[in-house]
Amino acid sequence: MQPPSKPDSILTTTGTAGNAPAVPVSSSRRRGAGIEPWLYLAPGLLIFTAFMALPTLGSLVLSATAWNGVSWDTATFVGFDNYVRAIQDGRFQTAFLNNIKLIPFYVLLPALLGIIPAALTHQMRLKGARWFQAGLFLPYIMPGVLIGVVWAWILNPVFGPVNKVLKNLGFNPPTWLGDFTWALPTVGFIGAWAAYGFCYVVFIAGLQKIPSELYEAARLDGANLWREFTTVTMPGLRREIAVVLSINLINALRAFDVIRATTNGGPGDETQVMALYMINSAFGANQAGYGTAIAVLLSVITLVGSMLILRFLGEPDE
Amino acid sequence: MSLDRRELLKRSGVVTAGLAVGGSIATHSVAAQDDVAPEGLVFWTGWNDPVRSGIAETLATSFAESHDGTEVQFQVFQTEDLGETLPRALEGGQGPDVAQVNQSDVMGPLVAAGRLVSLDDYAEEHGWNEILPEGLLSRNMFSEDGSQMGEGSLWGVPAETEIVGFFYNRAIFEEHGLSVPTTMAEFEEILGMLREMGVEPIAFGTLDQWQAIHMFGEIHGAYTTREYIDDLIYRRNDASFDDQSIRDAMAKFVEWSENGYFMEGVEGLNGDDATPVFTAGGAAMLMQGSWAAGVVNQEMGDEAGFFLMPPVEEGGDVYHVGGVGLPFAITDNAEDPDLAAELIAHLVSEEARGMLLEAGNLPAGEIPEDRIVEGTLTGELYSAWNTALEADAIGHFMDWAAPGIFDVLAGELQKLMAGETDVDTAVTTLQEFYAASFEA
Repeated sequence: MQPPSKPDSILTTTGTAGNAPAVPVSSSRRRGAGIEPWLYLAPGLLIFTAFMALPTLGSLVLSATAWNGVSWDTATFVGFDNYVRAIQDGRFQTAFLNNIKLIPFYVLLPALLGIIPAALTHQMRLKGARWFQAGLFLPYIMPGVLIGVVWAWILNPVFGPVNKVLKNLGFNPPTWLGDFTWALPTVGFIGAWAAYGFCYVVFIAGLQKIPSELYEAARLDGANLWREFTTVTMPGLRREIAVVLSINLINALRAFDVIRATTNGGPGDETQVMALYMINSAFGANQAGYGTAIAVLLSVITLVGSMLILRFLGEPDE
Repeated sequence: MSLDRRELLKRSGVVTAGLAVGGSIATHSVAAQDDVAPEGLVFWTGWNDPVRSGIAETLATSFAESHDGTEVQFQVFQTEDLGETLPRALEGGQGPDVAQVNQSDVMGPLVAAGRLVSLDDYAEEHGWNEILPEGLLSRNMFSEDGSQMGEGSLWGVPAETEIVGFFYNRAIFEEHGLSVPTTMAEFEEILGMLREMGVEPIAFGTLDQWQAIHMFGEIHGAYTTREYIDDLIYRRNDASFDDQSIRDAMAKFVEWSENGYFMEGVEGLNGDDATPVFTAGGAAMLMQGSWAAGVVNQEMGDEAGFFLMPPVEEGGDVYHVGGVGLPFAITDNAEDPDLAAELIAHLVSEEARGMLLEAGNLPAGEIPEDRIVEGTLTGELYSAWNTALEADAIGHFMDWAAPGIFDVLAGELQKLMAGETDVDTAVTTLQEFYAASFEA
């Protein structure tokens, strides 16, 4: 990692940098310097305060209330009761566990599916890789609900193409999204399909900064493709892997749209996840306070998970 | 309503249409062409299909013409979006004068918050109490504190009604020598014969869950009583899911699933996807609500018929899944509630009923005999509706029993179908959620 550049230009206003002569600063200029940085910061700070800080603060307040989401007159302060209730709530526990079960699909599988074609196209210097990249990235920019609807149609057990083909081949396929055994792996697979193009593009970007001399040196030493991958590609992609896993983990923990559009948490509670349970509690069961507490817990769990990944896979000097 | 908005409404004298926020809301303004509107009304509707939003637009236009050019600006919402947006808009001092308000989870909290205007006096004035029998009209009533449904003041008036039953393919029935069943035993015999002959008996889908609740509700309707189903939905008299009628219906639901009476792949099929399967001849019957009659009629014409769930024993009672559509209510945002009431009167008028009938929908109240043509789909649907209405046999949508119980009930039914739970556990889970909902 490059060391951060020194802000020499700032130093010249308050003292000396290197051999630069000292510049006398008037008292009015000094007073102006106190306000000026805030003026630069003000637009961003206002937007951050309005759209991040205040809603976050509001959510924390809401999570400490019993509120039906309709009228403030009905809100009562309940302290940490909603958090205690969530931790003891069997359905929330199921949702949390389902999010954990989705991690291999949402986090590892797309990373794996992204890094292999990225490494192959880079190491083998395939022609037409740009078209390949565009095609792989396409699912990532599609709305999750659309992806869910399309996959629900593809996997439809009555008229979907997947089961028609499998039946013609003599198999007895499950109903996928409606099957207690297959529902969670299926929504996990759909999530992986939606995300691996993003992983691929991040890895391709990372690969382009690995000096080609390293690959040439490896080949001179007799390394095959696999050896190049393990000794040059993987170490060179350490930061990209951390970023991809971190973002994928966030997606796994906040999984909602694909599941809402395919199974709505079913069959039973097999694909019930925290974000879906949060929405259903807040708006379906008219318990906005409880739903907000689940949202706060979801945010904390996501933050901790992301920090752990960056801690263990980030740069050693970070 | 702000004065600026009223001024804006007055100045737009032509029909306009466009998409508003998020693509899920369409905004239309309607006023008589040459008049200067003295007042304007904003109306939020859940009539989001082309047919009914077209009816809303036509009615808004005729209202404007009959009220000195009073402009009606109506916005079309997806039903769920309407339920989520309306309370927050009203809490912020904004929102419509007239809106369709879901009775199951929105009306009670809005009544408690004082956001709706009581329609008791208007009902007397406009004769709304005569549109529907008390048993159906009371679904739009709540106590002043919003806690008790089914009693107290009237807060909404519906234009439509709904009933769930079975559409059937006449050709398949005739080919196999079948006739409309009059008892549960006859019905099961037909279902068994169809399965044996390799014909899918009942098309429906439980992937998106709601049809599992309707199928179960239909079966439960044959085992329950008026008193029990009303108490359960209106949350009174210590009603409980731990009831023999629930257990019997669950056992029958499992039995039908195990016997293959439901179509193959039912658990992986969305509810609305079952309709094209049926209309394409993929099943002998379709379990669906009256709201699907238009589509079935369009695809099959009178090749399709309609019947209601038969009783366990001949002549017995069945309480069919159904009720009233989204009712029209006046919000506390209305500056002129009298004018808003006149708009509602127009939306539930004979003119509106006629338009709904023409479109194949089921308007509130009894269907005139001259509209019932024997041997047609709509004729059988209207006849079934009138019979159920006269017998006070319109049940409820079971997920109205408690806010949020939809997921629990649907989940337990999916588990029962897959053998992932048993009746005792399912009943216990449901009752625990239901009891807890009284404390929330």
